[in-house]
This record gives sequence, C-alpha cells and structure tokens, in this order.
Amino acid sequence: MSAVPIRDRALDDAVTVARDREDVAVGNEIVRHRLSSRLIHWSVALSFFVSVLTGMPIWTPFFRWMADLFGGLSVCRFIHPWAGIVFTVISTVQFFHWLGDMKLEPNEKDWLGPRAWKYLKYQGDDSEVGKYNGGQKLFFFAVSLGALGLLVSGVVMWYPLSFSQLVRELSILLHDVTFILFSAAIIWHIYLGTAAEPGTFGSMVRGTVTKAWARLHHPRWYREVTGQK
Amino acid sequence: MSVQSLEIRRSSASVWGSPSGMRSVPTVAKYIDTSTCIGCKACEVACQEWNDLPPLSTQQVGTYQTMPTLDAGFWNLIRFDEREVEGGLMWLMRKDQCMHCAEPGCLEACPAPGAIVQYANGIVDVNQDNCIGCGYCETGCPFDVPKFHAKTGKMAKCTLCVDRSSVGLEPACVKACPTGCLHFGTKEDMVALGSLRVDQLKKGGFTTAALYDPQGVGGTSVVTVLAHADHPEWYGLPRDPHVPLGVRFWKNILRPVGLLAIAGAFVAAVGHYFNFGAKQVQGSADSETNLPQV
Ligand code: SF4
Ligand code: SF4
Repeated sequence: MSAVPIRDRALDDAVTVARDREDVAVGNEIVRHRLSSRLIHWSVALSFFVSVLTGMPIWTPFFRWMADLFGGLSVCRFIHPWAGIVFTVISTVQFFHWLGDMKLEPNEKDWLGPRAWKYLKYQGDDSEVGKYNGGQKLFFFAVSLGALGLLVSGVVMWYPLSFSQLVRELSILLHDVTFILFSAAIIWHIYLGTAAEPGTFGSMVRGTVTKAWARLHHPRWYREVTGQK
Repeated sequence: MSVQSLEIRRSSASVWGSPSGMRSVPTVAKYIDTSTCIGCKACEVACQEWNDLPPLSTQQVGTYQTMPTLDAGFWNLIRFDEREVEGGLMWLMRKDQCMHCAEPGCLEACPAPGAIVQYANGIVDVNQDNCIGCGYCETGCPFDVPKFHAKTGKMAKCTLCVDRSSVGLEPACVKACPTGCLHFGTKEDMVALGSLRVDQLKKGGFTTAALYDPQGVGGTSVVTVLAHADHPEWYGLPRDPHVPLGVRFWKNILRPVGLLAIAGAFVAAVGHYFNFGAKQVQGSADSETNLPQV
C-alpha cells in the first residue's frame, strides 16, 4: 500500500481563495498574489526570457550557442522582435495591474541609497513596510521604464531604414544599456525572490505566504490584512 | 559568397578574430578617375550581367542618374551632379559602389558570425547564408552602401568581383569601361596611378584635385580621383568618413562593460548569499521572533 500524502487542508483552502482574491488571511496563510497577478507575472517572465535568449546571441558571439536553442541565429532574429512586442504588451498590462499597489510613500526615496544597503544587510527597520517595500516599488517603475526604452529603441532597430543615422545609433546604445541594467536587476530579483528570502517564491506559485513570512518582511501589510499587531 | 581559396583577414562577430598571414597577399584596389568618366554606364550593365542581377526599372531622378541610390540588386551606380564651377558648367560623375574599407564599419557592426568577411587582399564580402538581415551593417557603413534584398531579406553589395579577381581577372566594371578611367591592381599601383593623374589634373588647372582614399576608415580598396577634392560632397562622398562613433562605442566599450556588469550582478548575488545567508522566517507569526528588527 502506498503512503497517502498528508494534505494540508488549510493550505489547500488558501490556494483556492488565491484564485481570485488577494490580501486575505486563510488559516496560517495569507494570499499575496491572486491567480491573475501570477499569470501576468509569469507571462512577462516567459516573454522576457525568450527575448533575452534570442537577443543575447545577436548581442555578442560569446552567446552564439543560445541561438541553437531556437534553431539558429536567423530564427532568433525572426523571433526576437515579436517576443519583444509580446513582452511590452504584457508589461503594459502588468504596469496597470500593479500601479495601485506601487504608490511611492515620501520616505521611500531613501531606497535609492543607504536604505537599500541596510535592507541587504538585514539591518533595516521594516516595521512600516507595507505590501511592497520601497525597493520593490522602485524596481517596478524601473522595469516598466526599461520596457518602454526597449520598445522604442527596438522599433527603430527593427526598421533601420526608416530612421536617421543618429537615431539608429542612439537606439542601439539605448537598447544595450537598458538590456544590461535590466539583466543585472533581474538576476537580483530572482535571487531575492528565491534563495535569499525563503517563502517568497511560493507567493508567485501558490499565491500564498505564511503569516510568519508576512510579519517578517511586510509587517504593516501583515497588520492590515490580519488586524493583528 | 566567401571564396574558399582566399585567406580571411577579418570576419564579423568572431570571438577570437581570424588570424591570417599564412599567405603573402597584396591588397588589391580599384582605381576610378572621375575626370575621365563619360557617364556611359557600361560598368552598371557589366555589373548586372556578371553578377546575374536582373535588370531593375530605372527611376527618373531629374538627372542622368539611373536611380537614386544603390540597391541590393544594383551594386554599381554612376552618380551624376551638375553644377557651375568658376563660371563653367561641370558634369560630375562618380562611380558609386562599396568602397571596401580597410576598417569596414559594416563588418564591425555585423552580429552574425562570418556574414561579412574581409579577405587578406582587402576585399569586403557578404556571405548571404550567414546574414540574418538585421541591418546593423547599414548603420555601420559610412558610405550608405549595404542594402537589403526585398526577396531574400539579406544584405547584398558589390563584391569587387571577388570571383573574378581571385582568379586573376579584373572586375567586370573595369573590363567594360571604354575610356580607361577604371583600373584594377594592387593598392600600391593604383595609388601611384592616382598620384600621376592628380599631378596631370593640377597642371591642367584643377588645383584642388586629389586622390580620395579616406584614412578615417584606414583607406579604401576603391581609390577615386576627384578633380574637386575640396568638395567630396559634390560627388556624394563624405568628407571624413569614420566607423560611426556610436558603433565603435557600442562594440568596444559598452559590450565588454555590459558583460562585466551582468557577470558582476551574478557574482554579487552569490557573494551576498555566502556573506549574509538567507533571511529566514523563524517560528510562527505569533512568537516574538519574527518581529522586524529595529
Ligand atoms: S563601404 Fe560600407 S559596405 Fe563597403 S566595406 Fe566600407 S563600410 Fe562596408
Ligand atoms: S544585415 Fe548586415 S549586419 Fe545584419 S547579419 Fe546581414 S550583413 Fe550582418
């Protein structure tokens, strides 16, 4: 007889609730990202990675091998602009989906400077951190702006003959700079969302986090959702 | 299409470069004397014929020019300009084609390995089977030469008849020219021929005559005698062509810096993990342990 896995009823309930509601506590769990949020996030991620993997072999021959994942450089050249279009369309949806939650509070500008260092050293005072901390909000605006920059410069590079030499050169540089910053930021986004902060990844998979997680990382949000101190 | 018997000096998007030097190959060049060109366009026809390019319908641009610019199916264009110089009317004709730069901007900009090659003899050629049709070469070329072919989606341009010159024949345009204003040979010989002609022109009253062999792109394998070299723009030539600054900055600075930055972000994340570890949730929500540190 095979072992019957023990099912966590409370977690199941939370996952069910997470289909269409967020910011609610269910048992020991809190729903952080409802299904639509997660679908949007992973669609952005997927189109981003297709764009990156088809763009990097064009960027430098060091990554020429990536082209073989898609069937060669010509295929990449065909896929890349379309993946980019899909990426910007979903990024736009994402922007408006999350905009309400991303209002910067006055003191959150500090996250551009020392506050971010403190956070990384786990020394920051998080007691007033709501659903998203200042770093997450700035990251949100940075990637949205980055998506816009990639779109504008990408269109120019797609139809080079329709634009002047100067505009073409500037677009290539803009596309490059944005991509470089974007990639560096995404590496940290992934790192912080997985290895550095256990329990976070689940919020983008199941949609839920534990109350303990919420109280550690987003205390004000925890208080708002649970009504507890 | 790349010619197997020719050594390659440079190849686009190559990680290690293309070491050459096994053979001793002189740099070749085409000599064009605009002052003896009569604008007959025999070279245009010869180019289409030799390269099996189907005829394109000509476009009336208000001058004796066949069409406004070069085209992926039309690699050799006699540019025409009419202007009054010192009270006299001048017909300025220049044979326009790829200049086969010693430092080709097209090749530097091209992201597809082996799509653009420079042979040891200086000829710059496109391998259409490697070309991905991205158009970076158009941004890289200071002479506005590379064009896309509508049907193939690939870049095409003058090959300096590499298939002829590699077996000891002159390019088709040179062969066809009835006035002898085109010659083909080693770069050294063509430059010498150019200086002779420039001296003649100067003696004849064209004091500003000079040989156009722009050093900004390391010289070109098409050298052009201009009677009015103080005004290269009259002939549709840039005064001081360079590989565009944006392209050089992008390839030589931004790309290595970007690679380092991305690798740096990765290394920093790993370093952070070893230094600070994970921010663990301890105990349950109700215990004091998860109160944020102040
Ligand atoms: S003229 Fe343009 S296409 Fe020809 S070698 Fe120079 S940069 Fe390349
Ligand atoms: S279009 Fe030009 S730059 Fe792009 S791959 Fe072809 S030859 Fe290279």
